[in-house]
Amino acid sequence: MNQIIKKSETINKLLSRYGVKFGIYKNGTFKEQLFPFDPIPRVIKHDEFLFLEKGLTQRVDALNCFLLDIYSNKQIVKDGIIPEEFIYSAKGFLPPCDGVVPPKKIYSHISGIDLVQSKDDNWYILEDNLRVPSGASYPMISRELQRRSAPDAFSSNSVIDNRNYADLLKEVMDYVNTGGINVILSPGRYNAAFFEHSYLAEMTGAVLTTGKDIVCENDNLYYIDYNGKKQRVGAVYRRISDEYLDPMTFNEESVIGIPHIFEAYKKGNVALLNAPGNGIADDKGIYYFVPKMIKYYLGEDAVLMNAPTYLPFYEEDMNYVLSNFDKLVIKDVAEAGGYGVIFGNSLTKEKKAEFIDLLKSQPRRFIAQEVIDFYDLDILDEKGNQVPRKADLRAFVLSNGKTKVWPSGLTRFSRDPDSFIVNSSQGGGFKDTWVLSR
Amino acid sequence: MFFPEDTARQSVEDVQIEISNCDKYCITYDNFKNKKFYGLIEKPHNRFDVNISGIATSGIDIYEKYTNNPFEFSLLKAQTELTMPGELMTEYHKKLELDTFSGPYYKALYIMNTLPDTFKYTPGVTEVHESAENALALGQGVCQDFAHIMISLLRMEGIPARYVVGMMLGEGSSHAWVEVLCNGYWYGFDPTNRKLVNDEYIRVSCGRDSNDCSVIKGSFYGIVTQKQSETVTVEEI
Repeated sequence: MNQIIKKSETINKLLSRYGVKFGIYKNGTFKEQLFPFDPIPRVIKHDEFLFLEKGLTQRVDALNCFLLDIYSNKQIVKDGIIPEEFIYSAKGFLPPCDGVVPPKKIYSHISGIDLVQSKDDNWYILEDNLRVPSGASYPMISRELQRRSAPDAFSSNSVIDNRNYADLLKEVMDYVNTGGINVILSPGRYNAAFFEHSYLAEMTGAVLTTGKDIVCENDNLYYIDYNGKKQRVGAVYRRISDEYLDPMTFNEESVIGIPHIFEAYKKGNVALLNAPGNGIADDKGIYYFVPKMIKYYLGEDAVLMNAPTYLPFYEEDMNYVLSNFDKLVIKDVAEAGGYGVIFGNSLTKEKKAEFIDLLKSQPRRFIAQEVIDFYDLDILDEKGNQVPRKADLRAFVLSNGKTKVWPSGLTRFSRDPDSFIVNSSQGGGFKDTWVLSR
Repeated sequence: MFFPEDTARQSVEDVQIEISNCDKYCITYDNFKNKKFYGLIEKPHNRFDVNISGIATSGIDIYEKYTNNPFEFSLLKAQTELTMPGELMTEYHKKLELDTFSGPYYKALYIMNTLPDTFKYTPGVTEVHESAENALALGQGVCQDFAHIMISLLRMEGIPARYVVGMMLGEGSSHAWVEVLCNGYWYGFDPTNRKLVNDEYIRVSCGRDSNDCSVIKGSFYGIVTQKQSETVTVEEI
């Protein structure tokens, strides 16, 4: 490990040379920023990984069952486990997807589940990302580069090789492919995660493309190659969100999507990874119900815990929230990316009264959670000292009939000592995640 | 593009579809069972026309029976972006005192009969997809706005309501009205004309709001300005 720390600068230089960047828009201009790599890895022991693997597999299986159910029979609503208010008025529920069954009945092929470890050594699920979770390419390429600088660090420490991600991804695409080539559909060069799109295409042998090179004709999808020849497309790993995917079905102003791709998908002629409509399952309001879903669909108790969450929608929870307001964090279910998050103790008296009125008038709009005391990870600061910082872990779970957890993941940390926000767009960095084989 | 389909109320025969520059198209249905066709024109072109003609027999059944579909039921009860009430809609809803009417039918009838008193028909004031709240603030609009306001009010009462696009005898363009679920049937109300929907109306499509029902949509590559026009002719035979 010391070897890697010594070579930290070299690795960061290589990462920049390979274009491991992400783009952000600030004041209307596009800028690319490096994603800083920290050489001290997060280490997950073998037993701990087996525990996480069990919990994550179970969670993703239940979420896939939920999506199949909610877009067909809606038994879970009929049985009163989830109130209908949380389904039909949620932004993530897409009516065009109702009754559409994706190839092999898989909705979430690639799931990014965010976890944190608390000071008392428990793991908590922070959120599920079942739409277009990004980030797998960063640990992939950083491991590759570290191997060059410290070839034996991994075998001598019994770290499981994580270079199989591309194989897992290819297996998933091939499994659901309806006949034709695999493509990775990117919004293009100016997307924040373009490095990842191109890297994954290179590693899986899929064709990297944008909407302009794909057409839908007679309910089939075709890629137009450089000769102008049309090649049938069987699976699209799309890195475009649902609303921009098909201007004819969703947002009509989208110019990065493919008109009528949804028709081809609906008729079973192409697989979309992940399936459109998954937003209903990773909605903040639905999060509360995931442990109940696991019980309902799988008959098991949840292995991994949610952060303790309250729904003011229920009277009992509302009472709890009102009497414990100062120690809770309140989230607006319609917002994402760190917006609409209010720490109860941060409000002034008037603001608090104002907010409580809002909460009472729109209870469905909010969830309340206990604040988790994060377990900090050490990072190396500019002077080379080890300092503790907040960090989370995004685990990647792939489903191709069997659900597999990638023995690695993206550990993100905040560089600011007082910040809880680890997002790469907010200047956070990442670490390698070592899963030990014994 | 949507085109009329057989329902309990109407049957459609002799449908002819002519599309310039394009002979390949596919027919499909959306989740509200609306029938539509779509196609792709690959050759460069600067104009494209669609002509649809057919014979509709209307008024077979006056009302369409509600098929027990919980998806439809719950979805059409939920407000959408365009029908979501703001301050003005909430205030207007309060003022109507709909509690004094028993059942969805009488509530809908009252809304239809009183809405034109406060809301005026004026073309060209509202945007293509204007929300009910904004339209009410302007105090005037077109059939689409009448329908959105009425749907918003009904949904505030917990009554499932849907937006309907269609054609009407004697109109020069497409029309929009509202269908309300009452006692197991979908009843048509036309708040713009203060009229119950009868055999003068031919239905083309329905949905949660106007976003689900745009008569025609499309996209093209090219840096040009575009213009679209629409003519509807309905004659009695």
